[in-house]
Amino acid sequence: MKALPVIIAVAAAAALIRLWLRRRGRGGSPPVGAVAARLRGRGLLGDTGLVAWREIRERVRGRVFQVVTVILFAVVTAAVLIPTLHAGTTTSQRVGVVAGSAPVEAELRGLARSAGVPVELVSEPGLPQARAALGAGRLDMVLDGTGKILVNQPIAGSDTSAGARYVRAVSQALGAQHAFAQAGLTQRQAATVARAKPLPVESLQPGKKPRTTAEATALLGVILIFVVLTQYLTWTLMGVMEEKASRVVEVLLATVRPIQLLAGKVIGIGAVALAQAVALVVFALALAEAVGSSLVHGAAPLVVAAILAWLVLGYAFYSWLYAAAGSLAERQDQVQSMALPLSAPLIFGYIVSLIGVSSGAPSLLVKVLAYLPPTAPFAMPALIGFGDATWWQFLLSVAVTLGGTVVVAFAAAQVYRTAVLRTGGRVRLRELLPTLAR
Amino acid sequence: MAGLLELDNLSRRFGKVTALDKLSFMVPAGQVVGFLGPNGAGKTTTMRAIFGLTDLDAGSVRWDSAPVGPAERRRFGYMPEERGLYPNMLVAEQVQYIGRLHGMSAPAAASATTWWLERLAVADRAGSKVGTLSHGNQQRVQLAAALVHDPEALVLDEPLAGLDPAGIDAIGEVLVERAHSGRCVLFSSHQLDLVEDLCESVAIIDHGRLVASGTVDELAASGARRLAVRVAGDRQGVWARAIPGAAVSEVDGGEVRLVLDQAADSDVVLDAARSAGRVTMFVFERRRLSEVFREAVGS
Repeated sequence: MKALPVIIAVAAAAALIRLWLRRRGRGGSPPVGAVAARLRGRGLLGDTGLVAWREIRERVRGRVFQVVTVILFAVVTAAVLIPTLHAGTTTSQRVGVVAGSAPVEAELRGLARSAGVPVELVSEPGLPQARAALGAGRLDMVLDGTGKILVNQPIAGSDTSAGARYVRAVSQALGAQHAFAQAGLTQRQAATVARAKPLPVESLQPGKKPRTTAEATALLGVILIFVVLTQYLTWTLMGVMEEKASRVVEVLLATVRPIQLLAGKVIGIGAVALAQAVALVVFALALAEAVGSSLVHGAAPLVVAAILAWLVLGYAFYSWLYAAAGSLAERQDQVQSMALPLSAPLIFGYIVSLIGVSSGAPSLLVKVLAYLPPTAPFAMPALIGFGDATWWQFLLSVAVTLGGTVVVAFAAAQVYRTAVLRTGGRVRLRELLPTLAR
Repeated sequence: MAGLLELDNLSRRFGKVTALDKLSFMVPAGQVVGFLGPNGAGKTTTMRAIFGLTDLDAGSVRWDSAPVGPAERRRFGYMPEERGLYPNMLVAEQVQYIGRLHGMSAPAAASATTWWLERLAVADRAGSKVGTLSHGNQQRVQLAAALVHDPEALVLDEPLAGLDPAGIDAIGEVLVERAHSGRCVLFSSHQLDLVEDLCESVAIIDHGRLVASGTVDELAASGARRLAVRVAGDRQGVWARAIPGAAVSEVDGGEVRLVLDQAADSDVVLDAARSAGRVTMFVFERRRLSEVFREAVGS
């Protein structure tokens, strides 16, 4: 709420600047002033920046982006909230006790603690009153004083709720106590037997350790990278194809160089992708913090940073390829056949890394894939989640991927330059081999 | 503002097809130059070559005697044959964007966009998506995008195609106005009568070669002299059949058209007509541009 005045002030300033610019635009001056205005107002990236800014503005305005963003935020919200809400649904068990005794009540409290279920014991004067309270929902179970447990609804064998687990535990424990009593054990003997611990069982192979927070974050990160890359790489592919199909590329290339147009598109769409991913991560962390979720809360900063870094690196590597593929096509059906071979290494890297993270131990394959540019964006975050990558391994993987990106970008720019102005059907890659050899 | 766009010896082959064959001509400032040729003659390839959109095997494009590069192209305006606009982008934003890519500051681009959209009578659609506009209005927006940065040279590929008379008048007026304000204007068209009305000069190409060029007046006056003669009461024009050096090209409703060779004497023609009756019309005719064109491309 403290930020509200600042937000209002910024919005008002933006509106005033916009109004002022519009007023200036409406001045009615003839267009001859354009010559004097030339080469002013160029951004840091010049024409590339202008192209990138147009991409950002048009993409963010688009309905597809808005719908997908809402869906992604909804998914993240669900991923954070559902486990938390589920954990928080352990409601207190109200147990009615008829003709109870201190040892029985102590046993009931002990079992509740073991099961992690809050319990409230209610002493009932008689069975009819207890049954009435149970039927009315004021009690969850009743010990009827004759060695029976009453519940309102039958409990299915598949029911794993906290209440069902507690009823089973009480049933088992009190049943055992009843048996001990029948066997003539003293209270002390019965208590000793009841506290019996199972013998430890040891396996020769190492067991599966529980998933750490960093691993869980890496798992979510690999999924996030895949979802974001798939969406934005498709945009890059389609965007280039649509510019070619609508012939607008001819107007643009009459004044900007092909590499500027290509880079502007890649940077613009990449910026939207990164902004969306950062927003999702920040939102997830904030929400997890707010609701006390253990899912993302407490994630190692290195893992989160690595996920975002590999999202950028993965996009940088693949975006050039997808843009080049888009320049070869001028119809949607052609684009789909172009995208298939490009998406194969991406899907392979994703699935192998996902299996690695889910299995609890990274395989040798994941460790190898972490150093190949097409698969490193998935495999390296997985290794980082396991703590299986040192800083120099991380940097080596980044360096290899950056090197691969430079090579891919160079080849893609050559393909794009030649293919994007060729119309009249899909351009075959082999037609462009002489271009690539230059 | 003065400038000269020179196309010097442009050559380009696509496989076995020769698109441009040592093509040379000039577009001086202050003139609307019509660029004519049958389909496939190489007009679009030539225009694309001016903007570096197609590689040349030989030859060069020069602006004021210097080779045309990215900096010069930024000062040119281009309207391609197959229109190029983002269908989902707003009209005003699209024109501003093109202006910005040509080096204008944001306020200057906004101001010029407003001016041109009003000038071309599409200001009321400034906030619409381009794809929702009619063909004619999209054509106007495309022209605004070519003009927004006040280009020194304007190259338009078929700017009048598919327009209604009002659209043709509006765009034609702008082209003439731009030329008269000192810009180079080159545009291609198949509407030869319109070209004749709008242009001071034309360049006609066929199979990538220049086959005729010059001012419209020069071309109209070039070639054999033409006479149109009418004699009262005469419908057949028999009197004209045996005049030395004069060939009857057409007899239409008593109006006889003759083509005179260099040796022919127009006085002899007049005497022959008088001998047939009272001469009610005796006129030297200009050649229409369409005739020049057909003669030049051999159709």
